[in-house]
Amino acid sequence: MTAEPILIVKDLTIDLLTAHTAVRPVDSISYQLRRGETLAIVGESGSGKTVTCFAPLGLMPVGVKADVSGSVLFEGTELVGANEETLRSLRGKSIGFIFQDPMSALNPARRIGHQIAEVAELHLGITPRAAEARALDLIKMVGMSDPNARLKQYPHELSGGLRQRVMIAISIAAEPKLLVADEPTTALDVTVQAQILRLLKEIQARMDMAMVLITHDMGVVAGAADRVLVMYAGRQAEVGPTEKVLVAPRHPYTMGLIDAIPRRDDAIGSRFRGLSGLPPILGAPIKGCAFTPRCRHSVEGCGAQRPPLRTTADPAVMAACPVLNA
Amino acid sequence: MLVFIAKRARNAVLLLFLASVLCFTLVVSAPGNVAILIAELRTPTATKEDIAKVEEELGLNKPLLERYGFWLQGALKGNLGISYKTGEDVGAALRSRLSVTATLVAGGAVVAFVLSLLVGFIGALWAHRMPDYIMRGIALLGASTPSFFVGALLVYAFSVNWHLLPTFGFSGPASWVLPWLTLGFLPAAVLSRVVRVGFEDAMAKPYVLTARSKGLSQTRILFRDALPNIAPTYLNALGTQIGTMVVGAVVVEPLFAWQGLGDLFLAGVRFRDFMVVQACLLVFITFFVILNVVVDIGITLTDPRLRRQRS
Repeated sequence: MTAEPILIVKDLTIDLLTAHTAVRPVDSISYQLRRGETLAIVGESGSGKTVTCFAPLGLMPVGVKADVSGSVLFEGTELVGANEETLRSLRGKSIGFIFQDPMSALNPARRIGHQIAEVAELHLGITPRAAEARALDLIKMVGMSDPNARLKQYPHELSGGLRQRVMIAISIAAEPKLLVADEPTTALDVTVQAQILRLLKEIQARMDMAMVLITHDMGVVAGAADRVLVMYAGRQAEVGPTEKVLVAPRHPYTMGLIDAIPRRDDAIGSRFRGLSGLPPILGAPIKGCAFTPRCRHSVEGCGAQRPPLRTTADPAVMAACPVLNA
Repeated sequence: MLVFIAKRARNAVLLLFLASVLCFTLVVSAPGNVAILIAELRTPTATKEDIAKVEEELGLNKPLLERYGFWLQGALKGNLGISYKTGEDVGAALRSRLSVTATLVAGGAVVAFVLSLLVGFIGALWAHRMPDYIMRGIALLGASTPSFFVGALLVYAFSVNWHLLPTFGFSGPASWVLPWLTLGFLPAAVLSRVVRVGFEDAMAKPYVLTARSKGLSQTRILFRDALPNIAPTYLNALGTQIGTMVVGAVVVEPLFAWQGLGDLFLAGVRFRDFMVVQACLLVFITFFVILNVVVDIGITLTDPRLRRQRS
């Protein structure tokens, strides 16, 4: 954990331009990641978690143009402004991806063996036969029974949990140094979520990979992340080691998120504690701290100026809150 | 899979029977009387008695059910009756013309298949760029131009102007090219849009994002990830288009003076020659039914979700 970071993100800002609108889902995000380390990016839907990780690598849906500025250094290579060729050579080979919905992320018309093997064939420069053997190993590695039969199956023949295992096998087929997992457990049954998360951690440890874990599930954060970055309206609200941020959140938004987790001593039938209000609409101009309208601790000056990310009383934790910073 | 094919075959036979009933009903209830036409052919001043005599000869005065039963019996044995007009054996006439129409439709289908894939691929590879727009223009033009006009243009260009190909006739491969192009052009235009739109659709799917996250090239994603997913839709459309080509043959055959089924059918309709019309319809319907079964099997083979379900 003392080595140079393999991923250095600095002042990453992304504007999305569609045919009709221009929005800024990511606004000045900075973080670093070392080998073997896991960073969880947490936030509500639409807070910019996914775009933060996918847009710099050229992975945006068709028809959406992402204007990326700032800097993303991956092993010394600048990704912002890099051409598609450079980005493509990194995808799959050095950076693996896992998507939220394993039901739609796999190709329904192709055998899963091929879908895994092609990554190995492309990036490891091995023969199709060797790639198939590699796919078999990977299927075993992600803990699927009857691996030989699995190779020849199609996605629709597998359950959601198994499909996500296939997705994991695809993402690690070329032994990437960084794994980006976008809500890898969200679409799965609760009982399967823990298995998949454990599998991810195991594989990460075995391959000494860095991992960015995009999630809105504090349970996932607690179980898997070394550090956590809380995003609100495309901005970072709080960054710090998981155990510190979860136990003693500083930013009112983080407090609200953690407070919203149902507890065992909650009375049966009691109301959920949630954050009141709604996150700001994407594209609407924000004055001052974006969380002000929903914040229980806001004071008059909160809406005046955008709060910078500053070190808190604990030097390991940083937060962007006008009240804390004052 | 075999069970599935057997079931389809059984349904096809049932369908054929129903179609033959419908066909018979339609043909006999169509206005016009062949007996009058024949009687007038013999003596221009035919009387009611003359007409009755003709009806007697041809068995047209028998009850409909009996006529149908008689015809079906013969058809099952391969005897499709005698042409009212020429006295020829209808079966023999069909056989001699079947190969002509089969040559036309098969060639047209190949033209439609190759052209549509070519145009569709070009559009998909250069999506939303100049080649795509040019191909889209060609497709629009092709889909909205009637085949007799396309045929005339082709004849003008290749035969009259450049003297490359014969203007008409059925005499070896050189004389087949223009009819094939004429018949295949419109279906090619329609199918190229199916390919292009299918690719557009498929390329917006989450599994394509996955494929891109693997670092695969755009071209490889098009062919390896998107293509297998549009194959069932394409086969379905191809089947429909080949079906309509049989109808197109009725127009294209006279254009190039080919003596095919279309030509026979048209002559039969004009003369109210039930036996010929009925036999032609039966051939067309049989072709449609077989085509349907083949397309269904093709779709089942290309869509793994259906394959398991039906095996």
